[in-house]
Amino acid sequence: MTQKGSKVVCPSCGAENLPGTLFCIQCGTYLPSGGPLRTEPLPEQEDGRPARPRQGDEEGKETWALNIEVEVLNTGRKVLLSADREILVGRLDAARGIFPELDMTTDGGLEQGVSRRHARIYTREGTCFVEDLDSVNGTFLNEERITPYLPYAFRDGDLLMFGTMRLKVHIYPNL
Amino acid sequence: MATINSQKDYYAILNVSLIADADEIKKAYRERARDYHPDSGHGDAERFREIQEAYEVLRDEVLRRAYDRQREKQGLSQDAPVGLALLQSRTEALPLDAPQMLYVLVEIQPHAEMLGEIARQHLNVALVVDCSTSMSGARMQHVKVAAADLVEALGPQDRLALVAFSDRAEVLAPTHLVDNPRTFKSALAALAPSGGTEIYQGLLTGLEEVRRYASPELVNHVILLTDGRTYGDETYALTEARRAVSEGISISAFGIGEDWNDEFLDNLARLTGGVSRYIRAPSDVRAALRRQIQGLSNTLLKNVNLEVNTAPYVYIQGAYRAAPYLEILERSESNVISLGNIMADEPVSVMLEFVTDEAVTGERRIARLDLIGERIAAPEPVHLRQDVNVTFTSKPKEESVPTKLLDRLARLSVFHLQERAWRALSVGDVPEATSYLEYAATRLFDMGHRELGQAAMLEVNRLTHGGDPTKEGRKKLRYGTRSLTSPMR
Repeated sequence: MTQKGSKVVCPSCGAENLPGTLFCIQCGTYLPSGGPLRTEPLPEQEDGRPARPRQGDEEGKETWALNIEVEVLNTGRKVLLSADREILVGRLDAARGIFPELDMTTDGGLEQGVSRRHARIYTREGTCFVEDLDSVNGTFLNEERITPYLPYAFRDGDLLMFGTMRLKVHIYPNL
Repeated sequence: MATINSQKDYYAILNVSLIADADEIKKAYRERARDYHPDSGHGDAERFREIQEAYEVLRDEVLRRAYDRQREKQGLSQDAPVGLALLQSRTEALPLDAPQMLYVLVEIQPHAEMLGEIARQHLNVALVVDCSTSMSGARMQHVKVAAADLVEALGPQDRLALVAFSDRAEVLAPTHLVDNPRTFKSALAALAPSGGTEIYQGLLTGLEEVRRYASPELVNHVILLTDGRTYGDETYALTEARRAVSEGISISAFGIGEDWNDEFLDNLARLTGGVSRYIRAPSDVRAALRRQIQGLSNTLLKNVNLEVNTAPYVYIQGAYRAAPYLEILERSESNVISLGNIMADEPVSVMLEFVTDEAVTGERRIARLDLIGERIAAPEPVHLRQDVNVTFTSKPKEESVPTKLLDRLARLSVFHLQERAWRALSVGDVPEATSYLEYAATRLFDMGHRELGQAAMLEVNRLTHGGDPTKEGRKKLRYGTRSLTSPMR
């Protein structure tokens, strides 16, 4: 089966790159999408579907694709994460090859004790897990420090804390 | 049950010798596995799987013998002093109706035990020193000190010559065995600056001195030290450099201060697989020369070529040296890339950008890589081979790009941006040059290289106000971004 290979458009300079390009040929911006597989826009950007979907309909499904929205409480920034693959939480450090999907640099991550590779978030069969990556200042789930390298399940409305950075989570099934 | 892939060099992957015993292999596996475990700081799932695969085979006597036999049959060197390993940005891809990018990082890794065990190679070196007027004072003083220091670092089996040049060249010390450092040191006293800079004259004379004793058992090399621009004789010098390669002589070029022609010296050295360096302060000459001599005497392989054979639907978009320094590599029409010498203490890596336009599913060999190099004092060349395989499938697995590849790519992309700025400037396209430099500055700040970022912004400001970039800024950026691969801090 052949698929249509759409160009990867650089978010900073607008240049078109071949699918699979990792750094924009025009301006050098990192293109983590890595090609057509991962560039599908989030649903509500695509065609205005409601961001809060009908949870009831999804109950029977075995596997859920989930969207996780986190709200950084000190800055009010909201980030919608597509949890169909692992999300690294940390601070971007291109020189060391660290490219977190949830980058806390602009939220004052350094001052608030967020490690470069702080934690990871992933879903398994409709449940969200957070795992601390032995960060310096620790990860907290609802004010309790979690043990590094062990997955902890979390739910809609839970409070996550990376170092002293507080985040509120909202979980939506992704259609 | 482990499967054997004889295209892979399991010994190199585990970083053990071919005669390593079970304990050594086990120990090496533990170390490597710990380093690359996906949960460790430098985790690399792809690499980790490869390490596991290598261990599965080498730990089992029967499998290991079978693997060794297969490798032998393919004519691949069993006792190569280096290993060849590949990292791909992905191993599975969608069959698209349009071209797509694939990055491959080729790592040429000297085997660990080589560093301690190989005999120091014997050198046959000519030091060619610029004696133009601009070299007088501190510069010449430092060069003399550095040269005197260099001769101390050589042994009685090494050969050395001293050539001075300005408008013409003069042999101050003909090629001689360094059994008595005094011979060379007294010749240094005769270095007296006067006149202009004609690099061709100096280079030619230096090469003649090296030729007198040039042989495959020696590392034959010319070190060129200059602080000025040569006019009109660049093409002759480049022709000489091409001739030198065919005779097994390499050239390195050191530019002192800001006035020399970086593009020319880069080309001159690159043609022979050598390196050019920017020496900002005269006092740095000594360390640079020491390092160069040290590297030369650790030479494992000479005249190394990487041959890339691509499938018909694949082409190479770019080839870069990604370690130990960054460089845009030239390739011949048949895609042979000349890499020069490989040193025991310096792994070399090459980044290849492939564009593939394949719409059929299945596992494909998109390229075959052959690394061929000459051993010193051994007649048969070293030959290593690796294939780049990609599976085209409508459901490619989720795979993360190996961190090492991403990291090298990040640095290369910045280096490339500023190189493009200078290229744009050389054809008079100031707006384009300005925007490339601006992009480079942004990336440099992102990566935490503030000093280089500021240097780039300074040049952007000059350009936007109708000025010319500073020579110092240009050299700082070109040679600063080039060494971004070196460990930081």
